[in-house]
Amino acid sequence: MTARPRGSDWRRDVAIGAIVLVVLASLPFVTNKGIVFVAGTLALHVVFGLSWNLMFGQTGLVSFGHASFFAIGGYAFAWTAKVAPGIHPLLLFAAVGAFGAFVAFLVGIIALRRSVGVYFAILTLALSQIVYLLLSYIPALGREDGFTGIRRPRLSLGFTTIDLASGENYYHFMLVMCALLVAGLWWVMHSRMGRVFKSLQQDAERAAFLGINVGAYRLSSFAIASGTTAIAGALYAPWLQLLTPEIAHWTFSARPILYTLLGGVQSFWGPAVGALIFAVLEYGTRTLHGLSEIVIGSILLLVVLAFPGGLLGGLSRLRKRMSRKPALVARPEIVR
Amino acid sequence: MLALLFGPLFNGLFTAMVVFLFATGLTLVFGILRILNFAHGGFFMIGAYLAFSLVKTFASDTSLVAYLLISIAAGIVVGLCGLVVERLVFRPLQHVDEAYSLIATYALLLISEGAVKAIWGVSFHSVMTPTALGGAFMVDDLVMPLFAIFIIVLGVLCYGLLEWILQHTATGKLMKSVASDPWMAGMLGINVPRFYAWIVVIGFFLAGLAGGLLLPNQTLSPNLASVFVVQAFGVLIVGGMGNIRGTFLASILLCVIDSYGSVIFSQVPGIFFYVAMAVMLLVRPQGLIAGARL
Repeated sequence: MTARPRGSDWRRDVAIGAIVLVVLASLPFVTNKGIVFVAGTLALHVVFGLSWNLMFGQTGLVSFGHASFFAIGGYAFAWTAKVAPGIHPLLLFAAVGAFGAFVAFLVGIIALRRSVGVYFAILTLALSQIVYLLLSYIPALGREDGFTGIRRPRLSLGFTTIDLASGENYYHFMLVMCALLVAGLWWVMHSRMGRVFKSLQQDAERAAFLGINVGAYRLSSFAIASGTTAIAGALYAPWLQLLTPEIAHWTFSARPILYTLLGGVQSFWGPAVGALIFAVLEYGTRTLHGLSEIVIGSILLLVVLAFPGGLLGGLSRLRKRMSRKPALVARPEIVR
Repeated sequence: MLALLFGPLFNGLFTAMVVFLFATGLTLVFGILRILNFAHGGFFMIGAYLAFSLVKTFASDTSLVAYLLISIAAGIVVGLCGLVVERLVFRPLQHVDEAYSLIATYALLLISEGAVKAIWGVSFHSVMTPTALGGAFMVDDLVMPLFAIFIIVLGVLCYGLLEWILQHTATGKLMKSVASDPWMAGMLGINVPRFYAWIVVIGFFLAGLAGGLLLPNQTLSPNLASVFVVQAFGVLIVGGMGNIRGTFLASILLCVIDSYGSVIFSQVPGIFFYVAMAVMLLVRPQGLIAGARL
């Protein structure tokens, strides 16, 4: 194995993050509203994908129900903001994150005890279907028509108050929040806890033998990833100002999986690259009714066939081949 | 009274056989190639749309024979698609981690959805039930549509046939041996790649056939692809990782529970399938029929 420990690349990761942040933040000054909207949604999807990869690439857990936490976050935020408009938005975002993590904790206590691998995947799929159906049945959440009229809040910071509803304020607020979430994920992945997660992904049995409480760490990974996604979902609610049960559908849960596997599992920014590819494809094919699925599907297929191992994995292998070193690529097992 | 007690049972059995007919091809492909084929729903849908077009062109009288022939024709066309998919997608990805064939099948699902939108449009379509299957049986106050009875019988027959092939024929033994150890099977002189190709073709054929057969029961729209996939994955896993008997029993169990649950808690229909599925996975994570391949 020539792979370096993940901790050593922090300068590169931070530099990439900072550049991307500056580019995204300057978009409203140079492009139109359409592209800004795509970019804002992309930022949320990046968090969505990266948090999923905390479970998959880092801990070896495959969840097929990640979207349900995105939806739980969105709906929890929208509903609370409606019934109790007085709560400070930042407090509410934090509370929604804690709520998402708590739900994941409850689910995980039961689900992770008996099952890992494909069972955990299918179990989370079943749970996400339950969330999806419940969201489309509960009248207070707007049933299948969706939760409408979500307002962008006013943000009081003590010394000043920012009206997030005006101009592109909400977009910039969202970028800052996403940057914080991504930084948090990066920190978790590179902390001592992250290294324990990694050991579980590589060999859970051996980790248990070394005295690591496997269940507790899996549960933490699941709860952290789900809480982070819940906050991303909460940010999404005022961004779109409308929530439909579709964001809990399994096809949306497939997104972070696609992002991660497209971009690459092993590198921190892999899922972000996958999300970017998807956003570009969707934006590029948005006018091609019906054909857009064909184009997106075909490109996905071509990428998978050409670079099994993700785009970043493929590039790094290409680089290794150029420098004539034997390339060994470790891939986490998904179904066994 | 009868309707209250046995109505949900009948409806549950009907949906169970719908799910089972959908899941047979999926089970076969998963049981042998270990590919969780998201695209199965897409090709099921293509089969249904093909059958729809054939019905519109050839069979205005919707006779039973025409319905069966059209379903088989749809199955054959989809089976040929399977041959292409196997050669271009599944085979190159055979030696890569299963996760990547998962994206590939998801991509195929997107492509088939797009193809259906491009060819047949996004509007809703439906066809009449064949005249011979149009009526209904009445026992006391329990109404049993003939079409539902037909599907139940068909599901049981299909299960019986597959079970017979698997347990009592040379082909079945071959399938089981390849499923349990492809490397060893190859060593013993079985042409495993060609065998895989056949399995995929048969799996896709079954998807297309199910599409045609279940057409009178469905409203055709491009969403059809993702409707059954999750339920089918559920019965596949609850059944025990790709064996036909487990899939059959799991479909009956989950659908009947769901049917009664939906009657008792009518505000949240359809939820009990997933509740039962989650409970089953926790109580019996190894599946109903553990250990058995196919």
